[in-house]
Amino acid sequence: MADLEQREQSPALDSPPPGPTQTGRAVSIARLLHHECGLLLQLYKEKESFLSSYSPDGGRMVSPSPVPQEEASGEQRVERLHAALRQCLGLLHSVLLKEEDEWGEQEEDYETLKKNVRHRLEHLLLSTRGLLEGPDTTLEVTPDHQGTEEPDGAGGLFGLKVWTYRVLLELHHWADHAAETLHVFHTERGGAAVL
Amino acid sequence: MPHLSVNPSSKPNCSTVWLISVLLGLLAVHTNANDVLTVPQQVSLSTNMDSQQLSISWLAGAATTFDLMILRTELNENVFYETVSVMVSQLSGRHEWNWTSVEPLQCTSLSIKIRSREGQSTSEWSNTEILQGSDLPSEEECQVFPLDRVVPVGANTTFCCIVKEGNQFGSINYGKTVMNTTRLSRRSYATTVVNQGLSGSSGTNVVCYNNFKGTENGVVVFVGYPPLPSDFVCETHDLTSADIYFELVTEPKKECRVDHWEGNWTLVVVNPLGQYSLTDSAELSHRVTPVAPENLTSVAHATNATVLWQWKYDGYSSLALVCQVELTSQGYKTNHTFSGVGLRAVVLPDLYPYEDYSVQVRCGAQQNFWKWGSWSETMSFKTSSIVPEAPDMWVWMNKDYTGQVIWKPLTRRQSRGLMTGYEVTLWSPEESLQHTEILPPDTFAVPVNLTQMATASSDNMVMATAVYTDSGFFLFWQSDVNTTCAYVVEWHNASCKWNCPVDWIKVAPGNTNVSIESANFQPGVRYDFSLYSSSSEAPELLQRWQGYMQELANLSDPGSRSYTVKSLSEGSYKFTVKAYTSAGEDTGATASIMLEPFTDWLILEILASLGVTALFLVIVTFLCYKKRKWVKKAFYPDIPEPKLPGDWSRSQAPLDVKPPHHSLVHMVERPEWDSSKEALVVIPEEDEDEDGQGIGDELVDTDEPTSLRYYNQVVDERPIRPRYPDSSDSSASSLDSARTDVTYTGIQTSGSSFVFQLDPQGSSEGHQPQADPSSVQEEGEVTGPRCNLESLVMTRAQRHPILFQSPRLLVATNPRAPGKWTPRWTMGKVAAVHPLLVPPPQLLPLSSSSLMERIIQRRNDSPHHQQQHG
Repeated sequence: MADLEQREQSPALDSPPPGPTQTGRAVSIARLLHHECGLLLQLYKEKESFLSSYSPDGGRMVSPSPVPQEEASGEQRVERLHAALRQCLGLLHSVLLKEEDEWGEQEEDYETLKKNVRHRLEHLLLSTRGLLEGPDTTLEVTPDHQGTEEPDGAGGLFGLKVWTYRVLLELHHWADHAAETLHVFHTERGGAAVL
Repeated sequence: MPHLSVNPSSKPNCSTVWLISVLLGLLAVHTNANDVLTVPQQVSLSTNMDSQQLSISWLAGAATTFDLMILRTELNENVFYETVSVMVSQLSGRHEWNWTSVEPLQCTSLSIKIRSREGQSTSEWSNTEILQGSDLPSEEECQVFPLDRVVPVGANTTFCCIVKEGNQFGSINYGKTVMNTTRLSRRSYATTVVNQGLSGSSGTNVVCYNNFKGTENGVVVFVGYPPLPSDFVCETHDLTSADIYFELVTEPKKECRVDHWEGNWTLVVVNPLGQYSLTDSAELSHRVTPVAPENLTSVAHATNATVLWQWKYDGYSSLALVCQVELTSQGYKTNHTFSGVGLRAVVLPDLYPYEDYSVQVRCGAQQNFWKWGSWSETMSFKTSSIVPEAPDMWVWMNKDYTGQVIWKPLTRRQSRGLMTGYEVTLWSPEESLQHTEILPPDTFAVPVNLTQMATASSDNMVMATAVYTDSGFFLFWQSDVNTTCAYVVEWHNASCKWNCPVDWIKVAPGNTNVSIESANFQPGVRYDFSLYSSSSEAPELLQRWQGYMQELANLSDPGSRSYTVKSLSEGSYKFTVKAYTSAGEDTGATASIMLEPFTDWLILEILASLGVTALFLVIVTFLCYKKRKWVKKAFYPDIPEPKLPGDWSRSQAPLDVKPPHHSLVHMVERPEWDSSKEALVVIPEEDEDEDGQGIGDELVDTDEPTSLRYYNQVVDERPIRPRYPDSSDSSASSLDSARTDVTYTGIQTSGSSFVFQLDPQGSSEGHQPQADPSSVQEEGEVTGPRCNLESLVMTRAQRHPILFQSPRLLVATNPRAPGKWTPRWTMGKVAAVHPLLVPPPQLLPLSSSSLMERIIQRRNDSPHHQQQHG
């Protein structure tokens, strides 16, 4: 992530609160991420056709610290979202590593889309950090592996495929959640509707 | 035939006692046998889940034959029941026997029991031992077996699904195929996939569904091939270490390095399906691939340059090298080859001055050349400039002896550098005074005044006509054999009289013609061409021409509507009329005419000739009639009738001449033949071979005397028909009978009529098509030199399609070319990317590895390659 940090400089500590432009850009990134996650999910289901009849059980794989929604401020909701996205990035990194270990290089379009989603997610994390950072807050944008569920290996390669599918579902869900949360935050800051 | 009978009078008591004794004896033996057959004890089970092998051991004394029964515990179905012979293991003192299950051993519980057997006698069954399956109620979740198996293409694998406790089984899918299943227990179902095909990059899913089409669980199976490396070769770049290359199917070329040159290497590539080894051996000096030359520099002169470079390794200083230098200039590449020990500098000759060049170098070992090394980086240099070539100059003289010195611009290569200017020096041979003028580089003419020096050129010289052809104006002149000077042909617009824009061309000595072509030639413009001798002396005008590229009549009167062209010879002409304005000309209108000779005079001449001839004939006839008696006496005197003794009848039959038996008769055309005499020449048989070339065999039937029929003054104009030995028509031909009739008709050259007999094969080819067109096509296919392969194939295909298809199939299905069979290579990709399938290749010195020794021991007769499947 060091290079990622360098790619986008953190806002200055004395910078003004994020304006509609920043929040609007974050909404756009989140929507783009949601779109690409949907494509990746679709591609994976086509690749592993048994998933069309698979209904994953269990709860969410990503579980950021709970904050009562009705009591949370806009910044708190975005901060919670940021934490969830870090966990998503941790899961995605695990998927990339495990798939690389097990299958090596796979179909080109699938590999390309995975990398695109990773970069988009990293970009969104940088954007949400930019929305929240102030003199007293410093947010991480590195992958968070704490508390996320990893495959235990007992399920074998089939279990890995199911777990990967669940991760992609989780990414899709949180990208959708990010687009929605950031849009609300954007409108609270007086931003116009983002198309 | 003996038979049993009961005789009451015999001794019944003895027989009964004997029978009872036998029965008692048999009973005793049976009882004794039961005592010997030991019931197997301490039956023990061990398993190898991967190989699905069940090892059973037990104690049974000295017994060697056993009945084994294996049942599926839940459904009490018999899986295996056979009598087997098992010896006591010397190591453990127990009987040991292995059984491989078709289904994974986890699929369901198995019950195993054993009894001893000796002949028809058996012991009691041992206690039943149960191998617990994974379908026990305590294991509630759905499970599928075997887990993540790797199998070769074409294998058969049995999978089983143990449904989740409480759920109902639906189906098992192999990939997208719904399989037929067999129930093994309450929760366990099995299916067998036969002849498994190649998996995709992430394996093939075997999925178990419940009755609601929901996915319960699954496994992934990889179906692939053993590894198949290729192109294993070792070479050195630094003259010390070995760089090793090999390929794994569709993977990029792989390489690794060994610090020292071992001389012998073996590459062993292993995956769970087998291993493949390749060996390579070579001396270091035979495998030198030089590195790319580094740090190219150059020392450039005007016409040559020295290119220098450095070698990365010191060992190259003593290595005999051959190097290629690729020189690029103006987009053209030339290669120069140099050699030498430790070569690091070459001189490139024959370069153009002031020219940009780029160069790159690669080298190979001069001795035991292995392959070219990599090209160096491209280095550019520019040659220095030198004095330019002498300009091609000429002098134009006006009538008043003024004129101009003109010269052609130098090309970039002729200038040999950046042009800075021209220097024009004018002097008279008689005077020492010189006049020199320096001119800028874009000047190509300078006026001169030669009124004091010039000698008048001959204006009286006759103008010849220069003819314009496709290759320009063709000029031809007579050459003086004593003259070896070169020539200059000058031309300009004939209408120009003052300081004309003249062009010229130099013609080498010895030439007597030249074609002048120029893009500046215009239709309708007359050009003057002058031929000068070119020597150290002043040019001398030798000949002059005038000509049009295309002659046009120029009508200066805008009101003109007609123009007369006179003195045209016979032939065809095209006339184009174009209108000119100050803005230019139009495209013109063209008309064609043909000038033909005057035909009426020709008819009159013919009629006059005929009339004179008729008059002459009438006069001659009249004179002959008047003098007919004299004519008869002079030309047709009466011949007295011969008077013969006896009765000689006069016959009109021809004279038959029979030559001697076995003689050959040829008719020979003699140039000196007199038409009033006929000739028959009889050639002895021994002369035939010298010039007859077997003709006699065909011409003459030597078994029968040939009859020559001689007609005096009778000419038979019938053509001699070809002879077909087997033709029914041949009997009608005089030539086809055993008695060969040769009709002599003076100088009749009948040789051509015998062509068919001289070349029987040719005759059949020439005539059969008329009788049977299809048969000639068949002949043409097989032997005709004009028949190409395509027509051969197509014709055969139409008649025998299978003959057409067979070769195509043979070509398309040749799978033995190593590495070219796509399925195998595609497999290899799977094998290469999956860590279970492809452990890292091991590169082992032949002398040091125990694994290597084992491989060598297992190696077949092939000295280089061996494939070993696990």
